[in-house]
Amino acid sequence: MSDAAVIERPAVSAGTRSNGVARRLRNGGISVLWALAGIGLVVLMWELVKWLGQYIPMPFNTSDMTMPHVWTMVAAMGEPEVRGSDTTVLEAVISAAFRSMTLAVGGFIIGVSVGLLLAVIMQRFLFAERGLLPFVIASQTVPLIALAPLIVGIGNRIEIGPVQWTTTYSVMFIAAYLAFFPLSVGALRGLQAPSATSLELMRSYAATPGQMLRKLRFPSSIPYLVPALKVSAAASVVGTVVAEISTGVRGGIGRMLIEYARQITSQPAKVYVAVFGAIALGLLVAALVTALDVYLTRNLPKESKA
Amino acid sequence: MSEAWADRLKFVWPPVLIALAFLGAWQLLVVARDIQPFLLPAPSLIAQNFFGDIALMWGTAYYTGTTALLGLVFGTFAGIVMALLAQRFGVVNNLVTPLAAGLAAVPIIALTPILNNMFSITSRTPRVLVTAIIVFFPMFVNVTRGLIQVQPVQLELMRSMNAQPRTVVRTLRVPNAIPFFFTGMKVAAPLAVIAALVAEYFGGPQEGLGSRIASSAANTAYGRAWAYVVAAIITGLVFYLIVVAVERWTTPWTGRTRSA
Amino acid sequence: MSGHEHAVSADGVWKIFNEGLPNEVTALQDVHLTVDTGEFISLIGPSGCGKSTLLRVIADLTDATRGEMKVAGVTPHEAREKQLYGMAFQQAALFDWRSVRRNVELPLELQGWDKDKRKSRAMELLEMVQLADFAEHRPWELSGGMQQRVAIARSLAVDPPLLLMDEPFGALDEMTRERMQNELLRIRQETGKSIVFVTHSIPEAVYLSDRVVVMSPRPGRITDVVPIPLGTDRDEDTRESDAFYESVTAVREALRGHVGGAGMRARVGEV
Repeated sequence: MSDAAVIERPAVSAGTRSNGVARRLRNGGISVLWALAGIGLVVLMWELVKWLGQYIPMPFNTSDMTMPHVWTMVAAMGEPEVRGSDTTVLEAVISAAFRSMTLAVGGFIIGVSVGLLLAVIMQRFLFAERGLLPFVIASQTVPLIALAPLIVGIGNRIEIGPVQWTTTYSVMFIAAYLAFFPLSVGALRGLQAPSATSLELMRSYAATPGQMLRKLRFPSSIPYLVPALKVSAAASVVGTVVAEISTGVRGGIGRMLIEYARQITSQPAKVYVAVFGAIALGLLVAALVTALDVYLTRNLPKESKA
Repeated sequence: MSEAWADRLKFVWPPVLIALAFLGAWQLLVVARDIQPFLLPAPSLIAQNFFGDIALMWGTAYYTGTTALLGLVFGTFAGIVMALLAQRFGVVNNLVTPLAAGLAAVPIIALTPILNNMFSITSRTPRVLVTAIIVFFPMFVNVTRGLIQVQPVQLELMRSMNAQPRTVVRTLRVPNAIPFFFTGMKVAAPLAVIAALVAEYFGGPQEGLGSRIASSAANTAYGRAWAYVVAAIITGLVFYLIVVAVERWTTPWTGRTRSA
Repeated sequence: MSGHEHAVSADGVWKIFNEGLPNEVTALQDVHLTVDTGEFISLIGPSGCGKSTLLRVIADLTDATRGEMKVAGVTPHEAREKQLYGMAFQQAALFDWRSVRRNVELPLELQGWDKDKRKSRAMELLEMVQLADFAEHRPWELSGGMQQRVAIARSLAVDPPLLLMDEPFGALDEMTRERMQNELLRIRQETGKSIVFVTHSIPEAVYLSDRVVVMSPRPGRITDVVPIPLGTDRDEDTRESDAFYESVTAVREALRGHVGGAGMRARVGEV
């Protein structure tokens, strides 16, 4: 490294460890402000397009029926979900999103556990890696979600001991299925990350395979694990929403999207509230994973973070 | 047999063996336990449905593949343009990057019913659009990374040669971003197929893979539904492999030791 | 010397990073230095002594905080715009997507040379660094030493009177390094360039230079200038000569003297 580079950033290496979390929070806060500005811009453009649509022909329908005003959407949140009902649209959407979140998080946890286990097995046994990895990689390029309607068909007819398999389990299963693949690939790459020197060092200490895994492979897999966790979390959310749509499971945000889209003639703004619910669901799960990320990478230098 | 071939074979036979064992076990399980097709159709039944109506499979995959390709082209184009703007103007970068990070976690597919309302639901347009939006983000993120993550020494070199900012973009940043572009494409291309397929679950024309999987399942034609799934898998793989092939051909230096 | 103006002249140059902030660092303190036309100067010193910073001020890659820097009688900025210097770095910094020849052509392209002239000039330079056979190869097909020779050819492309070299052989193994040093001396003989060369290695500085500028960290400053009386014709035998060892000792003592007994630190530079 040239010494100019060292001189130009003298404070960074010293301050990183102690201020890491605070610095990331501050940077995160600034990003949130910019994101809010971006959202503001989207709102402005939405209204601008609507207004222009009155005078200039647009390639799409800009009427209040399909593109309600932003304030109509906000107002729609407070309206009763169905005529005469006590629950508002917002409350219904929140409870649907919450239900979907439990399914997504459940699927995420199952998927991550299985993905990690498979990665350890693939790392340990060369044959397993050579045999399974091509499928794991290929499966990432393949629309697994196409299976969703079929898995539900299976699910409705299975009893495992006293437990009656319900479509809820099917949704969670699909979410887990989607979450599992990115994680196992990322984890495997991470477990294989330690340098030959580090491995030889551990061998010179007569470390057992278990110690090797705990003391070296797991810690060095973290920079690979974190982005994989983010992808997996997003996949489990998408998996949940799509599975709810294709299975028709009630109570979640996916089904609600379809139902509200059908009510467009009576309450055109309703479907937008459901879309916001789906977006909020995704952001919430991402925030949970980010908290996990901050915890996992607390001891890493700034440079090695993705 | 040459050594290189023997070496390559070492990587070929384990997956082939596992695939054959898996299919064999599947077939055996279905036959031995007399499992009904609605639970799990035998591989032989799926193959029978797939090859029995190969023309229909092709036509259906072609429809969804076209939607995916259109969305991929539009989304990629928009992603590249926005990345160039973000590299050039800090404001654009500040505005779009956190949105892109946030939206990566969001089921964008949920926009489909809205787009179905705004555009004619009987056309392909809403599906192409939602595919394009989904494709946009990995392309934008990766291309921006490629434009920005230039080796500092190469920037100093360009400056020492008195290169103007526009020249730096053309001779350094854009070529530097090409491998990143392909990284984005390898994510985006299969994603486009998935998006095009899932968008069909929200209603509209019934010609595509997603619609046909759902309707076959609903009509208890499970062998056929699984055959469409096979067609979807092949479509996704074809998209991915084309990207890999173009990458190998155009950027032979990636994956090698970079000249330091 | 003979030139009517100096290749480089620094008059009271300071470089202070983060001035006024708690993490202020004085990278260069009151540097006075002149490099005569055709002279070979090495800058040597431990990490953080500001030798690379000084080179970057000369190249207009960073500004001096105070003081006056002239390159061939003009400001560094003008010198960069007129391409009065060529630069080589520790990393070859070749573009993977260009052939070896097109890498050498890059500065000419930026100067708007036409295609045929560019090509013949690049071939001429590749001839000089003995890589003409590799003109159409890709950089990643070349060894580290060969890549560095391409980078040197590139720095000579616009035929600048001055070469600025920032540890160009720092990443090479010792054998390759000595070969490259001989090659650089030969190129210098053939072209008569002025050269400012940054290095960590005492023998390298001595073998190549007319004068060795010794620098010291915290704050970065010039502490000594050691003339090297080895003449202009240097070859492998020079490395074995008593005069060579005497100069190595002189530079080492200059380094040690100013690092205040911390001999370890000075020895870092010896490799």
